[in-house]
Amino acid sequence: MLKGIHQQLDPQESPAFFIQGPKPFPRLMFFCALSLVMMAVDARFDYLGQVRQWFSTALHPLEVVASAPNEWARNINTYFSSHNQLIQDNFKLKQQALIDHAALQRLATVDAENAHLRTLLDGDAPIIPQATLGEVMHMGRDPFSNIITLNRGSRHQITPGQAVVDEQGVVGQITRVYPFTSEVTLITDKKLSIPIQIERNQLRAIAFGEGKRNTLDIPYLPTSVDIKVGDKLVTSGIDGVYPAGLAVAVVTQIKQSQDSPFAKIISRPIAGVNNHKHVLILKVPDSPVINQTNENRPFLPRNNAQHLDQSVVDVLQKNNAAVDPHPVTETPVLDTGVPEANSNSQGPTPETTLAPVAPEHP
Amino acid sequence: MKPVKFSTIVFTMLVGLVFQLYPWSNSGIIIRPDFLLVIMIYWLLQAPYHCNIGWVWFAGLLVDLSTGSLLGQHALTFAVTAFLGLIYQRRLVLFNRWQLYLYVIFLFGVQRALILLLKLFAGGEIPDWTYGLPVISDLILWQFMIIWFGELTRPKKL
Repeated sequence: MLKGIHQQLDPQESPAFFIQGPKPFPRLMFFCALSLVMMAVDARFDYLGQVRQWFSTALHPLEVVASAPNEWARNINTYFSSHNQLIQDNFKLKQQALIDHAALQRLATVDAENAHLRTLLDGDAPIIPQATLGEVMHMGRDPFSNIITLNRGSRHQITPGQAVVDEQGVVGQITRVYPFTSEVTLITDKKLSIPIQIERNQLRAIAFGEGKRNTLDIPYLPTSVDIKVGDKLVTSGIDGVYPAGLAVAVVTQIKQSQDSPFAKIISRPIAGVNNHKHVLILKVPDSPVINQTNENRPFLPRNNAQHLDQSVVDVLQKNNAAVDPHPVTETPVLDTGVPEANSNSQGPTPETTLAPVAPEHP
Repeated sequence: MKPVKFSTIVFTMLVGLVFQLYPWSNSGIIIRPDFLLVIMIYWLLQAPYHCNIGWVWFAGLLVDLSTGSLLGQHALTFAVTAFLGLIYQRRLVLFNRWQLYLYVIFLFGVQRALILLLKLFAGGEIPDWTYGLPVISDLILWQFMIIWFGELTRPKKL
């Protein structure tokens, strides 16, 4: 009779102290406290990063299982893609290759000329960023943040802070790296800002993501600023993360309100921020900024051909300063007019000769 | 009614996790149910002798880790939801189907509201009305759980 009593009794009928352990409320309090502590620790300190890493590694097989149906579907789709489609694609690609070849031939000449000019002006060599090809695994699982996950992680030498681009422009920046995957925060995310430049007149500014609306906002530009709908925004390269000249966004809307001295400038990202499969993860150029901070010497946008001629830069800078009552912080950088030198590779560079001059510019 | 095996709970939790990890597309994520929440709340009400607040909290932690959000966010809301379910557990099993639906919708709604609150504290923005849609799909998943694992067990009549 007593043998199976535990199984015969329903939980409702059995004495509470046999099965329940602590009462629900103390239990709830305990777990609430635990999660609050975890949230605080996770938000303020870095201790839990390791836990995430382990968990992500453990989770990888499950992730593979979860994404398997999608993979199959895609493979089947590819398998049955029609003959016609392939021929068309092939034709299109060949045409594109022809056009690209023509452009490339010009590029070689321009490159040579560029190198020549740079040596004349003691500029440093342009940086051609190295890139890793990454595949988008999924859009973020959290509808609140604009994050995509790539199939490249710390095992593939990906580090946080690397820029991510697609064939049209900047997509975002790597913000968290797991062993096999990494998270990219899109430029439309609220937390991300990107230094940009208007391609037409070289005016520099910083664009901020606007979150769910999938647009970028350029705040703190006065209503009188020279910017038009349709202007193309490119990276300015002054942050040392994004190489200069990558397309970022197109201005779609300029609102001027009476009660604000600033214009509300909305732009739409050029890169297919929400619909691409393959992206390039660019290596962060080794920034010499850190080495030079003690020399108190400013850092000129390297790897940017547009900044080659210092006099042009200065003129533009003055123009911009006239237009922009809130010059971006790097304005004094350019006024000093010292072309930043690639300290290691170029041997005796102006760096040595100019070093005594540096203290004069605080 | 046979008591539920603990292994069943663990297994369904794993399956839920796999579905959570499925690469949802942009439009899919709008209607994606909270798999782990529904599964764990079901087990909490069906088999409170196996699944307690701690397990539901742990499921929330798994969600946190898989979404890469602030660690403890989902865990906290899951624990609160589990508590709200558990204190009425003895009455809930006596409810008829529609009463139960209403209460379960309330539970899932509470969880989403709490997450929203936490995100707003962290500086998020207010989402549009589609934010509430997963409650519907939660309910559908709940119905599936009922179909697969049976109605909530009523106590025997004395």
